[in-house]
Amino acid sequence: MITTVTLNPSIDREYFINEHKPMKDHYIYDSENLQISPGGKGLIAAINIKNLGYSDVQNIGFIGGKQGLFFEKMVQDHNITTNYVYTSDEMRNNIKIIAKNPPSNTMYNDYTYSVSKRSVRELKKRFKRSIRKSDYILIAGSIPAEVDFNIYQELINICNKLNKDVYLKASGEALNLALKVKPKFVAPYFKHTHKILDFKVEKKDDYITVGKKLQKKGAEYVIMPFHTNRLLFDKDGSIYMLSPKDYCIKNLLGAGDAYDASFFDYIFQNGFDFIKANRYAAAAALSIAENELVFLESRQQIEKNIGNIIIEKLEV
Amino acid sequence: MARVKDYMMRSLNSVCHTDSIEDTIIYMHKTEMPILPVVDEENTFVGTIYSKNILKNIIPEQYGFINSQRILYDRNQASENLSEIKSKKVEEYMLTKTKSIAENDDMDKIAEIMLNNKESYIFVTNQEGHLRGYMSRGDLLYYLLNNSDE
Repeated sequence: MITTVTLNPSIDREYFINEHKPMKDHYIYDSENLQISPGGKGLIAAINIKNLGYSDVQNIGFIGGKQGLFFEKMVQDHNITTNYVYTSDEMRNNIKIIAKNPPSNTMYNDYTYSVSKRSVRELKKRFKRSIRKSDYILIAGSIPAEVDFNIYQELINICNKLNKDVYLKASGEALNLALKVKPKFVAPYFKHTHKILDFKVEKKDDYITVGKKLQKKGAEYVIMPFHTNRLLFDKDGSIYMLSPKDYCIKNLLGAGDAYDASFFDYIFQNGFDFIKANRYAAAAALSIAENELVFLESRQQIEKNIGNIIIEKLEV
Repeated sequence: MARVKDYMMRSLNSVCHTDSIEDTIIYMHKTEMPILPVVDEENTFVGTIYSKNILKNIIPEQYGFINSQRILYDRNQASENLSEIKSKKVEEYMLTKTKSIAENDDMDKIAEIMLNNKESYIFVTNQEGHLRGYMSRGDLLYYLLNNSDE
């Protein structure tokens, strides 16, 4: 089994319109121009893992209110095992307006979702009893309001006690605190600011410095986003630059999630090899970015891109 | 042959046998499930808790009296009784002899179980007895509908 954790999922609503102007009403008659889907970092990765052929994939997290029932049904359509703690507050909705003329992409992201202490206690209990059969645990994304920043630290602690490897994709204070309990894989991401570990990162050297700091603070391996590339920090201290070649990006939505899911897929198929797993994961991300897809569909689409991923060892 | 895993809800919404009745009632309300599976600390399915059973334990007599004074008295009594048991553990009120089915069971077997036991939900386990989801009467009817189209 693979477990993914999404503490702050959302119902994503995408509206495709001709032009996006203030004070102009829009009427959508064609169902193709309105897409509603379940969203959240760990969840999209879970759907990808499922699409790659794994029978047993569960997603754990909070969902809320009447919309939570709707959300769970949507996730069930992907044959993911859902393990949700229902909260009193309604869950979040993220709205994206995609206009053709001129091309624009406007997001209204909802961060009002709040979770009670009782629900947090319930989630920790549920998590502990549900990961015993999991081979890997992916914890990803933001955390809802009122949830303490040490939540990831506490979840990883539970994993450590049960000897489970964790892949953590986090940012901000939740990431800072989680490092104390030494997650095996850390993939930081930027949210609202360009900071990791409270350091502003702009140049390549900044990224390298911060990647090393992440390892010093507890991460065994670090997968650091660097524009469209990744900086890979191996356990032995080596640093690699991973880059795609000859590519044409059409869409970035879902690429990161495809990366995370395929990283696990490689390990399951071939055993652990940090560099090869990342090459395969990057090929998966590229297949999403170049094809306007959100979810991975097959391994074939990944394999045909492997040759387009270059990994070079950096002399630092 | 159609299998349970093709039609089941893969939901692990559940309570632990050591959880309180209060937590269980809140969870039943939020999930709109009048029946919840009960698991142990390793997610092994150990029984079922029914809202009806909790009600039976707190209502001295069934509602239905024409006398409104009596209804009010009973309701207050039920609330008092509930406050006495809400901190008690699920294991005191759960049913342990609950029939479960396996993911790989034949769907035709489910129809028989549901009809014979009058269960509105049957919980699904894997070979090791861990909870994997549930099958409702609605899921069963959907399966039968698909069959009738073929």
